[in-house]
Amino acid sequence: MRGSTDPLRLRVASVTDDADRAVLVRIANGELGALDDLYERYKTMAYSIAYRITNDPTLAEDVVQDAFLGAWRNAARYIEGRGSVKTWLLSIVHHRAIDAVRRRRPTSELPEREAVPPAALQLPDVWAEVSSRLDVETVRAALAALSDVQREAIELAYFGGLTQVEVAERTATPLGTVKSRMRLGLLAMRRVVLEAEGVTAAETMAEPGAEAR
Amino acid sequence: MTDMTRPTRPDLSCDEVRELAASFVLGALDADEADAVRAHLASCADPHVEMAELGSVLGVLAESLPVVEPPAALKGRILAAAAADLETRGAGSSAAVDRAPVASTAPIAPEAEPSAAPTPFPTADEPQQRAAGRPGISAWTMRIAAVLAIALLGGWGLLLQNQLESAQRYEQNVAAVLDVAGQPGSLTAVLTPDGGDGPAGLAAIASDGTVSIAMSDLPATSGNQVYEAWVIGSDGVPKPLGGFQVGETGIAYFEGEGLPTEEGIVLALTLEPGPGATAPTSTPVSLGTAVAAG
Repeated sequence: MRGSTDPLRLRVASVTDDADRAVLVRIANGELGALDDLYERYKTMAYSIAYRITNDPTLAEDVVQDAFLGAWRNAARYIEGRGSVKTWLLSIVHHRAIDAVRRRRPTSELPEREAVPPAALQLPDVWAEVSSRLDVETVRAALAALSDVQREAIELAYFGGLTQVEVAERTATPLGTVKSRMRLGLLAMRRVVLEAEGVTAAETMAEPGAEAR
Repeated sequence: MTDMTRPTRPDLSCDEVRELAASFVLGALDADEADAVRAHLASCADPHVEMAELGSVLGVLAESLPVVEPPAALKGRILAAAAADLETRGAGSSAAVDRAPVASTAPIAPEAEPSAAPTPFPTADEPQQRAAGRPGISAWTMRIAAVLAIALLGGWGLLLQNQLESAQRYEQNVAAVLDVAGQPGSLTAVLTPDGGDGPAGLAAIASDGTVSIAMSDLPATSGNQVYEAWVIGSDGVPKPLGGFQVGETGIAYFEGEGLPTEEGIVLALTLEPGPGATAPTSTPVSLGTAVAAG
């Protein structure tokens, strides 16, 4: 209702991952309070991405609810793996949101199998550490590293829920070109993030008391 | 479509997987292709680091979005659903435990093999301890929630209409309200329509003046329309608590704050043409009087 928005749009989260994992252990033990903690930490990220993809507040809520319930049920198995909790949640939310919009789209193929959510959704596809220190400048610079056509292909896929074939059709571009735009775009962003991380890692060593929030 | 001629997709080679990596991490493969990639990753000796490399920038995409805050009521629904899930796990026989989702869906878990490693937390074989260890929603609350929700739902014909999904959501909402009602010093109110069938629900007012309301059978809002919640205290003047919209399910969960915590105050819902009403423009669609929860 009265939500004054967090002025810190991008949260700096250098030490959150250990804390996140501790929360997951508590979740695996069935502590509702821990789910509450996890939700408070990531609700904004989760809802923002679900809303961006679905463009529908109700559907976005359903997606976020599904995702956190998935985390609630699968925390134990997740802990056996590795990687960032944030990545994991992000991946669950993204999967479910994409799934929801594809199901909604009348032109969508994949009739039957969509009725049953694939088991694969229980685990992240990518066990990467999403960089934990993303400041505004890094995000901006990473996005600026994309050419217009790369950005278009990546956005249509990641936020629009289009498959690579659909991106190719939509942009009247050969499939091979779409694939390489996505790949080169992601690599370009990664270079920027890695550079930024190199710098911030050094800064962190210099001032260990740097605020982590 | 052309896949009809290929009932099973041939296994992918490492090179093919590398070529699909960017599309895979972006979620841009169709379900069959994605499954084929997952199958390859699960069995391949090559760690396919390109997946992690390309995937590591997805956070940038997420962080680049405009921030949209979820509605406050979503948390209550999620926690109530999780509590209900826990109850299912904890209450039943071992059969109920066995069909817990955690145990049943491991086909592609890349890390599932070294499960011989000690796990410092109980897993599905300790349901009772789990249930006992959780704070917040007690088992009796959940049991009452289930009984009450079923009773209420029966009365409103939701189950008869076969709206099972709505029924479940409503049950979760009622559970969240009952969680508040179970705390010391809380008040509850049963909201009913003026006469006959119509929107009805349950509200709980906590001792800190926050209110949780679970409603069903609300006609869907359209356009800017909102249901506005009001509290009417001893001065008889309706004070707005906030508005919410309702979809086709007719189910809603609402949280507000700043209520007087006295028995006898009235909670009411009106349908308003837009958010921000300062005085009701129509008669309440549903209302009820707060009484002590005990």
